Amino acid sequence: MRISPWAVLFRLRSFQRLTLWLLLPGFLLFVRLSKGAGLSDLYAIVSRPFWPGSAQREWLQSAYQLEQSSKLRLLEQDNARLRDLLELKKAATGSTSLISATVISRSYKGWWHQFLLSKGALNGIQKGDVVIGPGGLVGKIESATPLTSRVKLLTAPGSQIGVWVPRTKQHGMLIGMGTSRPQLVFLEKDPRVLPGDLVSTSPASSIMPPNLPVGVIQSIDIRALPAPSAAIQLIAPSEAIDWVQVQIR
Amino acid sequence: MARLYQRPIFVLSVFAVPLLTFVAPSWAGLSGVAPCWAVLWLMPWSLLDGPLSGFIAGIALGLMLDGLSTGGFSHLPALMFLGWWWGWIGKRGALIERSLNLGLLAWLGTMLIGMSFFLQIWFLNNDFSGPLLRYWSFHTTLSQSILTGLLAPMMSSWLMLIWRRRSSI
Repeated sequence: MRISPWAVLFRLRSFQRLTLWLLLPGFLLFVRLSKGAGLSDLYAIVSRPFWPGSAQREWLQSAYQLEQSSKLRLLEQDNARLRDLLELKKAATGSTSLISATVISRSYKGWWHQFLLSKGALNGIQKGDVVIGPGGLVGKIESATPLTSRVKLLTAPGSQIGVWVPRTKQHGMLIGMGTSRPQLVFLEKDPRVLPGDLVSTSPASSIMPPNLPVGVIQSIDIRALPAPSAAIQLIAPSEAIDWVQVQIR
Repeated sequence: MARLYQRPIFVLSVFAVPLLTFVAPSWAGLSGVAPCWAVLWLMPWSLLDGPLSGFIAGIALGLMLDGLSTGGFSHLPALMFLGWWWGWIGKRGALIERSLNLGLLAWLGTMLIGMSFFLQIWFLNNDFSGPLLRYWSFHTTLSQSILTGLLAPMMSSWLMLIWRRRSSI
């Protein structure tokens, strides 16, 4: 049977239509596997005119000074203690540097507690880097695309970091519960802490930088099982932060 | 069925969902909880376009939104089911376009998505399943579903109207 050239052309066209539909799942799978590469970057480029300007800088600087003064006090205490114990002479922070980035998308109350930052892998941000806002620790980098990076906030369910209470020198685990106040689970049966005590990152941690202020103890549940726990009010408010600093390694 | 998938401009409108998820306009939220944009787009699409197209659109949306979130739990199972289910409802009888019906369908869909998230957290992360997490899950599910159910008669019926006029059915 002879096939007319028109029929061949028609078949070719329908095949071309099909290829488009085969390419689409491939593209979407790429988006999924690369944790949003392409889409996040496109959003960063499109939303650039709407990024917050420098008006917030002054407010940020005053909060930053407060943070610095409390941090300095903690660092001095810690340094003195370490020098006494170990004759350690090096400064606590090693070869790290800070990058300022804008929060270009945020979700802090729904299912996901995350920020999208305006700087990414091209600026040297990697997964696991620490994010600091005015007032202390905000979260950790969860993934980075070339132009953007995604921060998992401390309040996100599943976020876990080691912290301690500098006044009583007790360690605990800060666990995000989805609510705006994460839970601090103590490792000891008898935490001698009081509401109002400062919580900071542990000086013994090898993952987090030492002595970053995190929050203030709001209430303590001594009878909680398996260990006593406390509700922590974070110092850095997720809903108001427009600028953060990423500590890159 | 409307064969919406043959119109590139209709297909491209799916990118409004990740865009709105990124922008998260504060006027559309209720104390920080945003409506479920995926439901507002997927429901009219599936109702007009049938179960298979709805199912594929559910997969596409799920892959995109999973790529844009920090992980831990996935949109895919709930959105795949909802795309198929709404398509099945749309194919079965007369076209659903009453505000109350659309709102109810959107409410049910968002409840289902919330429940699937909760079950995934429950089974995958046993180590932090305290009462606080339960309260938070139910609070988020309820507020998001009410908000989506209220917005659906406005946004989804508007989308349905445009798509039906342009594809002339």
